[in-house]
Amino acid sequence: MSGIAMDRRGLLGAGVMGAAAVAGTAMAGPTGEGAMLAPGVSRGDLAGALKAMRAVVGDQWVSGDAMAVLPYAKNYLPDPSGRHRPVGAVCPASVEEVQAILKIANQYRQPVWPVSTGKNMGYGMTSTAMPGQVVLDLKRMNRILNVDPELCTALVEPGVTYQQLKDYLDEHNIPLWIDVPTVGPIVSPVGNTLDRGVGYTPYGEHFMVQCGMEVVLANGEILKTGMGSTKNPSAWQAFKWGYGPYLDGIFTQSNFGVVTKMGMWLMPKPPVYKPMVVRHKKVEDLPRIVEAMRPMRINNIIPNVVLMMSAAYQLAMFHRRSEVTQSTAPVSDAEVAKFAAAHDLGMWNTYFALYGTEGMIAESEKIVRGAFAAIDGEVMTQEQMHDNPWFHHHATLMQGGLSLEEIGLARWKGNGGGLAWFAPVAPAKGSETQGQIALAKQILGKYGFDYTSAFAIGSRELHHIIALLFDKSDPEEEKRADACYRELVTGFGDQGWASYRTGVHAMDLVAQQYGATNRAVNDAIKAALDPNHILAPGKSGIA
Amino acid sequence: MRKSACVALGLGGAVIAALAAGSAMAGQELGQPLPQRAPEKVYASVCGYCHGTNVGPIILGRKLAPALIKTMVRSGMNGMPSFRPSEISDAELNDLAVWIEKSKANPKEKGK
Repeated sequence: MSGIAMDRRGLLGAGVMGAAAVAGTAMAGPTGEGAMLAPGVSRGDLAGALKAMRAVVGDQWVSGDAMAVLPYAKNYLPDPSGRHRPVGAVCPASVEEVQAILKIANQYRQPVWPVSTGKNMGYGMTSTAMPGQVVLDLKRMNRILNVDPELCTALVEPGVTYQQLKDYLDEHNIPLWIDVPTVGPIVSPVGNTLDRGVGYTPYGEHFMVQCGMEVVLANGEILKTGMGSTKNPSAWQAFKWGYGPYLDGIFTQSNFGVVTKMGMWLMPKPPVYKPMVVRHKKVEDLPRIVEAMRPMRINNIIPNVVLMMSAAYQLAMFHRRSEVTQSTAPVSDAEVAKFAAAHDLGMWNTYFALYGTEGMIAESEKIVRGAFAAIDGEVMTQEQMHDNPWFHHHATLMQGGLSLEEIGLARWKGNGGGLAWFAPVAPAKGSETQGQIALAKQILGKYGFDYTSAFAIGSRELHHIIALLFDKSDPEEEKRADACYRELVTGFGDQGWASYRTGVHAMDLVAQQYGATNRAVNDAIKAALDPNHILAPGKSGIA
Repeated sequence: MRKSACVALGLGGAVIAALAAGSAMAGQELGQPLPQRAPEKVYASVCGYCHGTNVGPIILGRKLAPALIKTMVRSGMNGMPSFRPSEISDAELNDLAVWIEKSKANPKEKGK
């Protein structure tokens, strides 16, 4: 490999030309002329690394030419310069193959970008934060290693999808639920948990119900976290903390190791499940909804992650923009309200569910109805909503059901398929909502985009989830979306509303919102665990 | 796309491949990798969540050419994600493409 001395983090924020110039080499298609290589890696290094990887996993499981890399290049994010395209992919089938690949990556200094199923649409899929990386595609590692119906736990490999896990539970008549994100069928518990994603049952905070990991470190050693390294690891999936510093967290949203096994807790199917929605007619109602909801979440009267869905977001799932407005200006509240009213939607639609016995649910429902009666909320149940498609969608998710209906968002502005999630976090207080809505509308409006949003209360925090929807087939609009997203990150960051998660296109920018000391600690851990920076440089802004 | 994925199987080939899959409908056992899936299962586990639910266009009963289906699956187009051989193997995709081409429309599906 070529020797190179540089400020690694400085490269994270570099534009295409800057990165390519420092990298100094370019080659055709993904691995040919014009492709951006990783800093310090030559064309010969990449070719040598791919050849060595072929000897490990077989020719058919290494992608290096343009056509073979094509499925790895798709993403929904704004990437006007193609900076986030990978240059290759390798698909191991075992932990031993992962170890061998990391040894090769160290030898050639060729960085690899681990993905489990690579379907986090709106966050990057299999594209990479920095140029020149080979995707370490773990999808072939798809074994369900253990399911314990008594402890209600599972141990899975990264390539296991929620669909696979649900099929296994159903086929074996095991009365446990899974908890899914909105793209459940094609994504994995491992990937979503490591990205600190959420679902919508009482087990919706996925990292909270994760228990034990197997991690391949950059030097090839295998770490088992929690109780996994004891002589008799029988409690690996039963007790999260083990002894000493709790390590699992440093392997989430990070590039410190490759997680090859993960334990998780599963929720027993409750005797009764009752999904509900509360409709409010005015945009200004949101602060009151948050104030009413917070104590019910903290006291666990409502046990699942609560979603407050704006009408615009809901409409974008199942309708096209041209049905709601003919204007090229951002869609107005009045236009949304008119269309929403005609489709049985409020301007805010607050979805939650009750779980337990009939008696438990009846007691909780009294409290819930009382809280919303006080703020003019219209409380609706399955019997009243019938086949309303939005209610059906959320009622499916809140019992761990599988759906991809939210992918419809990507078609709001036509067939171009542009989607980037922006997700700043605030405390769960009503006073935090109005300033955020005004700021979001101001920035989105400046760039000509619609405000399609939801809020979620996990426990004490309020997630503001904005779907930046754009036409990716229009290069000018893609550039505007890129600039808009960056201004959202910095504009919200200046107010203390930093994102909990972001796509590969903005990882360094979001990391900047968390300050220099935070970044320095992450850099120190990285230097200790991966001194050659072969694991996913750029992930979460860590070089 | 890999060369093998571009070779359209005839119906006979698809039947043989489906039989060879053997346990495709038997599901997955603990500690074992996911066995090759029959085209019906791939469609139900992946494609059918969008095509037929008003998200993507209807593709059953339209006599779509297998080569077109395979190109769309591997490249993704517009709002559709791409699917890699590690997700839907070349053998599964060959069977799937033929199965979709030969399929009849499903009146329960929604969309255009």
